[in-house]
Amino acid sequence: MDLFFHPKVRVEDFEAAAMPHFPDLYRTARLLAQDRAEAEDLVQEVYLHAWKSFHRFELGTNCRAWLFKILFHRLHHFRRRWAKAAKVEGFESPEDQDNIIAETPVPQEIRDEDVLNALGRVPIEFREVVLLADVQEFSYKEIAETMKLPLGTVMSRLSRGRKLLRQELAGVATSYGITPAGDDPQTGESA
Amino acid sequence: MSVLNFDSKQCERIRRHLDAYLSNELLVETTSDVLRHLESCEGCSRELEARTRVRDALRRAAASQVPPEELRQSIHRQLRKMQPDFLGVSLRVRMVVALAGIIGVVLGTIATEHWIRARRGRQMVASVLALGVSDHIQCAIKGHNYPEIANPPEQLRKKLGPQYAGLLEVVQQKLPGFEILEAHICSVQGSPRKYVHFITRGRGTILSVILTRSEGEQLPNGTAFRSGASGSVNLYEAHLEGMNAAGFQSKEYWGFVVSDLSRDTTMQIAYELAPPLKAALDAGSGSEARADLNRGTQVGVPGGKGCSSKPRRGRSRIPTFA
Repeated sequence: MDLFFHPKVRVEDFEAAAMPHFPDLYRTARLLAQDRAEAEDLVQEVYLHAWKSFHRFELGTNCRAWLFKILFHRLHHFRRRWAKAAKVEGFESPEDQDNIIAETPVPQEIRDEDVLNALGRVPIEFREVVLLADVQEFSYKEIAETMKLPLGTVMSRLSRGRKLLRQELAGVATSYGITPAGDDPQTGESA
Repeated sequence: MSVLNFDSKQCERIRRHLDAYLSNELLVETTSDVLRHLESCEGCSRELEARTRVRDALRRAAASQVPPEELRQSIHRQLRKMQPDFLGVSLRVRMVVALAGIIGVVLGTIATEHWIRARRGRQMVASVLALGVSDHIQCAIKGHNYPEIANPPEQLRKKLGPQYAGLLEVVQQKLPGFEILEAHICSVQGSPRKYVHFITRGRGTILSVILTRSEGEQLPNGTAFRSGASGSVNLYEAHLEGMNAAGFQSKEYWGFVVSDLSRDTTMQIAYELAPPLKAALDAGSGSEARADLNRGTQVGVPGGKGCSSKPRRGRSRIPTFA
């Protein structure tokens, strides 16, 4: 009904502004949703929702950030329906932040499949911040706005999420019998 | 997981900055500190390299997720379906909305006019009935222009004159339980309007039956304004100055029953009285008297003063009778 009162909004303009971000949105959704079907539903909803409110979007401003904001709004809506959503209680405790000297060794050879498996085991609250920062290269401020989180929470979740991913990667490597390359088992220092 | 051995507080401080350094979120000065330290600290450089390796691996893995082309096409098709057809559906919808708006305005105007008419009608009923109330209060109640013992009918007929004498019998017959104490033609001070005034006593109070010329004005006929009907005679009512008044109209007269009796009692009396009074007035029993009223002749009032509204000292309260 919104579009009825804004007949000048053309779908061609919307597609020109929004569709270039389709790959990024899909990849993020795919790495956060439980499976491909859910990711596709999510992305489709994002675009239909964005089109309905496109008259409120100011052309020339950051369309990518706007679409990601919608993505996370829809994602959180979806997540409430996901019974298997990861629990994150205790992950943001101060003790975790202080444990800075414990560094997990990283395998020299990392396969995409291993990364994806490791990432899938990182609780979603951390995973989404890691993806926005390290893959989509959003600033802390943009992430805070997109996810409606305080800046400090974004920073702590990113730090913790990176550590968790690294631990999971090490676990995957170990399960294959790969010893993290060059790490000294006594000190953790590379040779 | 293994624990790195470093004894430098500096390393610990720099590593706290590595996440922000990796995200390019550090201030320039802090970035310089980190870079200086990395140049001289192999352990921290290796740690940064490890973190960068994980990040790059994550970017590569994410990029390996190929967005399905069919999803892009599906979204494209759905967007086209949702595009308003400016010459089709939305135009029709707009026309319907516009038409609904016009109808709304027309209905609103009609409703407003109806409301204004109703308001004017109610105001008119109140102002007409106020005539009867003011004569009752000024002449009968405050003026006390009636005797304690009823004037004999012959005298009342004489006061009314032959033109209205016939109405005396109608009032007497249709007001059982009420005694006609006085009947005359009077006026309220400050107004040229003349009233045929029957002052009666019954049910412990004074009740007036009053007639006056309508001068061609008609009370509104809508059901919203009248309070009832007796036969073909519409009855109107109002509560003014502590009095209940019931009114009706004939061809050329307004008639009133005014008292401090209850609304229902006053209306019931008017219900009985209005049809025969109207019939008598319409039949012309008062035709000659109309001429008298027009001339301002005050029948049966010595000196032509009638029962002016001048209240009599000490008699202004509403009399009650056992």
